[in-house]
Amino acid sequence: MSENKKEKKGFSRRKFLVRAAIGTGVMLGATYCSAPFIRRKIAGVVNTAESPYMGPTDDPTIWFEVTADNTLIFHSPKVEMGQGTFTGLAQIAAEELEVGIEQIKVVHASTATGNIDQFATGGSTSIASLWVPLREIAATMRVMLLNAAAGQMGVAVSSLSALNGIISGEGKSITYGEVVAKAEEWEVPDTPALKASTAYKFVGKPIPRVDLEDKVMGAPIFGMDATMPGMLYGAVVRPSSVGATFLGADTSEAEGMPGVVKIVLEEDFVGVIANSYVEAENAKKKIKANWSTEKVWQSEDIEAMIRVGQGKPAVIQKEGNAKQLLADGEEGVIISEYYSPIGAHAQLEPNGAVAYVEADKATVIMSTQVINITRGEIAKRMGFKEEQVVIQPTFLGGGFGRRLHTPNAMQAAVMSRAVGKPVKSFFNRKEEFQNDTFRPPTHNVMKGKLTADGKIEAIEHNVSSGDVFFGSPLVPRLLQTVVGTDVGAWRGGMIQYHGIPNYRAVSWRVKLPFATSWWRSLGLLANTFAIESFMDELAEKAGKDPVLFRLDHLTETKADLRLAKVIQRAAEEAGYHNEARDGRAMGFAASTDANTPCAHVAEVSIEDGDIKVHKVTCVMDPGMVINPDQVRAQCEGSIIMGMSAILHERMTVKDGSLYPVIYGAYKMALMRDAPKEINVVLLENDDKPGAVGEPPLGPIGAAIANAVYRLTGERRRRVPL
Amino acid sequence: MKHLLTSLFILAFMGVCVAFTEVSPFGESNRSSEANLDEAPFDIMMKVLTHKRCVNCHPSGNRPRQGEDSHIHNFNVQRGADDHGLAGLQCSTCHQSENNDFSGVPGAPHWGLAPVEMAWAGKTRVEIATQMMDPARNGGKNLDEIVKHLTEDELVGWAWNPGIDHEGKPREPVPVAKDEFTAAVKAWAAAGAVIPEQ
Amino acid sequence: MTTTFTLNGKQVSVDADGNSPLLWVIRDTLDLKGTKFGCGKAACGACTIHVDGKAVRSCSYAVKFAAGKEVTTIEGLSTEENMHPVQQAWMEEIVPQCGYCQPGFMMATAAMLKEIPNPTDEDIDNNIVNVCRCATYYRMRKAIHRAAELQNATTK
Repeated sequence: MSENKKEKKGFSRRKFLVRAAIGTGVMLGATYCSAPFIRRKIAGVVNTAESPYMGPTDDPTIWFEVTADNTLIFHSPKVEMGQGTFTGLAQIAAEELEVGIEQIKVVHASTATGNIDQFATGGSTSIASLWVPLREIAATMRVMLLNAAAGQMGVAVSSLSALNGIISGEGKSITYGEVVAKAEEWEVPDTPALKASTAYKFVGKPIPRVDLEDKVMGAPIFGMDATMPGMLYGAVVRPSSVGATFLGADTSEAEGMPGVVKIVLEEDFVGVIANSYVEAENAKKKIKANWSTEKVWQSEDIEAMIRVGQGKPAVIQKEGNAKQLLADGEEGVIISEYYSPIGAHAQLEPNGAVAYVEADKATVIMSTQVINITRGEIAKRMGFKEEQVVIQPTFLGGGFGRRLHTPNAMQAAVMSRAVGKPVKSFFNRKEEFQNDTFRPPTHNVMKGKLTADGKIEAIEHNVSSGDVFFGSPLVPRLLQTVVGTDVGAWRGGMIQYHGIPNYRAVSWRVKLPFATSWWRSLGLLANTFAIESFMDELAEKAGKDPVLFRLDHLTETKADLRLAKVIQRAAEEAGYHNEARDGRAMGFAASTDANTPCAHVAEVSIEDGDIKVHKVTCVMDPGMVINPDQVRAQCEGSIIMGMSAILHERMTVKDGSLYPVIYGAYKMALMRDAPKEINVVLLENDDKPGAVGEPPLGPIGAAIANAVYRLTGERRRRVPL
Repeated sequence: MKHLLTSLFILAFMGVCVAFTEVSPFGESNRSSEANLDEAPFDIMMKVLTHKRCVNCHPSGNRPRQGEDSHIHNFNVQRGADDHGLAGLQCSTCHQSENNDFSGVPGAPHWGLAPVEMAWAGKTRVEIATQMMDPARNGGKNLDEIVKHLTEDELVGWAWNPGIDHEGKPREPVPVAKDEFTAAVKAWAAAGAVIPEQ
Repeated sequence: MTTTFTLNGKQVSVDADGNSPLLWVIRDTLDLKGTKFGCGKAACGACTIHVDGKAVRSCSYAVKFAAGKEVTTIEGLSTEENMHPVQQAWMEEIVPQCGYCQPGFMMATAAMLKEIPNPTDEDIDNNIVNVCRCATYYRMRKAIHRAAELQNATTK
């Protein structure tokens, strides 16, 4: 560990670790505890404020290792789940470090390095939150290398410059690797000036993903691929019923099954450990677990609970007196109601972990979005200090919010301790579908009133939703009280047309009998579907063009102007028109999420009764774009994933269990559903990078529903359409 | 007639015994034979042929059905040129020559669809039987060959051993024991393969 | 029981219950992790491999059936000298996001292109039915067309 944990900003006596080859050394590091300004930070993550970074930033040596062959190993505190963060971070770091992209190897920081984000990877914040800190860290490290080189070369630092990882001056040159090999200790200087954006070589360029080749060649990079010597396989019995509490189990029959090493019966779960996965799963089927359930739930019960007007309301937005203007009995009030179902994450890689618990330490390799929380849960259960638990995160086979809750890691650790060997344990697919932390169902009620000249006088959005933020292990209970409303459930639920004189938004909280939580973009998908469908309905009532109608209700504030620009550009790019032509029609929708405005135009037809999306035009302004190719990839993926949720997906509760439990029966967009054309246009009306991975999910549902209306005259308000 | 009924009774009894002793892993024994002694061999035979275990893969059109509710096969699976799937998505991508208890994917030798001219879905039992006897729509089979197909073909035989589904639940087998069905088919053929009017 | 087959060009023998899914034999016994477990129900296609050149979902394929056959996984798709056209196209189009499902898609695509060297969009829609949650389908379609071009260029 480091020589002095309490060391303050300024000095690091630690030596950069020099390794001849990757994967041969163990990196040491301090555990860093920041004093978290949690409230601001949480708000930043889920809403529109600045995205903060919640890890250590004062010591470049825990971020970068320099190897003898002059490779920089970048220990990323954010995990890579497909969103392209590793690539974007490498681009940013390469700029200030003055190295080539190919000289940087990005790896997931183990907790042992000390470079951990206290919060999570999620909320489309990774690039935005590290934009400033990472450049500062990288630039600081470059200066440290220059300073050290000056000493080693015996020349003035002012005569040296760095390029491609080589420091040159006065006719001499030395590689970073050589500098590090000779250096004994490091002084951390004041943060140097950062490079001007005009000098960027990598930022803003469509650099191929740094993990591309590994992913194309099938390299073993995921949690599911992890192994440890002598590893056994564990299988935990999970309930198929909603609201089931574990009471105990009869394991006698399982004990004699082939390959069984041990049965672990704890107060809160039962699992079996065997020599192979197949043997563990076979033995698991013979365990008779007892569960108590209070009620045999049905879909109708859930639908009856999710109703605006029931549960606890919280006013989340208020301007003017919308409430009075739209009160019952007022004339001219237009009301529409929208519904969205329970959604499954359905990420391809099941939740799992490989854990090895020894007498005084635990090591866990896994896919997780919450490294720090995972570590805390294991430490607590094992009776260890957090420092005794090492979490080595891996590439995630999809995140989408599913890996923000990882009690399975703790179960693997318990099983490992029971047998004194490493244990790998993961969900089967049925368990994934029935024990998901679902996207909550919603009921959205929109009310509006028009003026005589066809403008919106007042608008109100009410959303009833299961919990997202509340009840999440990610969010401290105290904070839930401080924040007071479920900021996850109402993400995307605020009225963003600030030119409307009277608007109001109200969130109604419902506690459901199964876990609901973070699903990519949280409430944005359902809330934007309701608001932007309703905007179209109002435009039609007002006799206005839906694009102009939206623009009519935006102001001159920066946020509104950015939204207006994407709206205008999307209409132009798509050649938006209102009437159906040749069996196809266009639908328009827009929203701003996490400071990133986005507008979609969807072009649809109906074929054999099914909605077919042929083309989507997407205009998004995420601010500065680090990697246009990966931003496009996020837009393409978000559009199709959003289509999937809006057109196909739905979990139901039948006789106490959630169904379906398999792909196919859980209908999702497949190749044949993907639009043949997706035109992504990126605007950059901000000088810093913003959110990318979720905002394009927002408007897709309403864009499709609005197109279907233009085609058929039928207004579809219930998801899946 | 009395002799035939006695034979059928014995066979039916044996069939049930077989189910109890050998095929029980899939719950076949729980099903009581719906045959009764007054039923004509044709009726018994057609109970099997009109069952979803048979009809799901005798679809009208190019898309197989699946499941107890005979929904259209997931993932837009299609017949293909040789009734064994599309060139790049053959039935054998997922279905092998026997049931797979790990995945719940059913399997039997030459798993595939009946040719489109042998489509049964949506047809009455008389239409199906008439079609089955028509060499133009039965692959040119004569009566002996039809009997052999119905009673000995391994894919047809799967209907009595349909395995478990993706949740591990037993699929519903056809509602007549195998031996009872075999006896009925043979009896019907021996009596002239007469198809009733309805 | 012992089962002997050819895996990526090399003969291997494994001692396993003949009914064990080939997926787990490949992943856990033979330690090739490119073939993925997604559902274990032959529904998602993440475990797609080739058996005698045809696409097979290995989670639903008993190891005993592999006896004497040629099995190819993503690790064996390219040769030492040449990257397979499908993988080449996947690189060019920068298809993967999380990447977990991609080996299955590439194996399914490689098998399809043997039978349908010039697939239309409709061929792709109907033959490639694996599941990708990141929804990289848009780029996959481009990559499949590109792979066909590359393959035809090398075989002509």
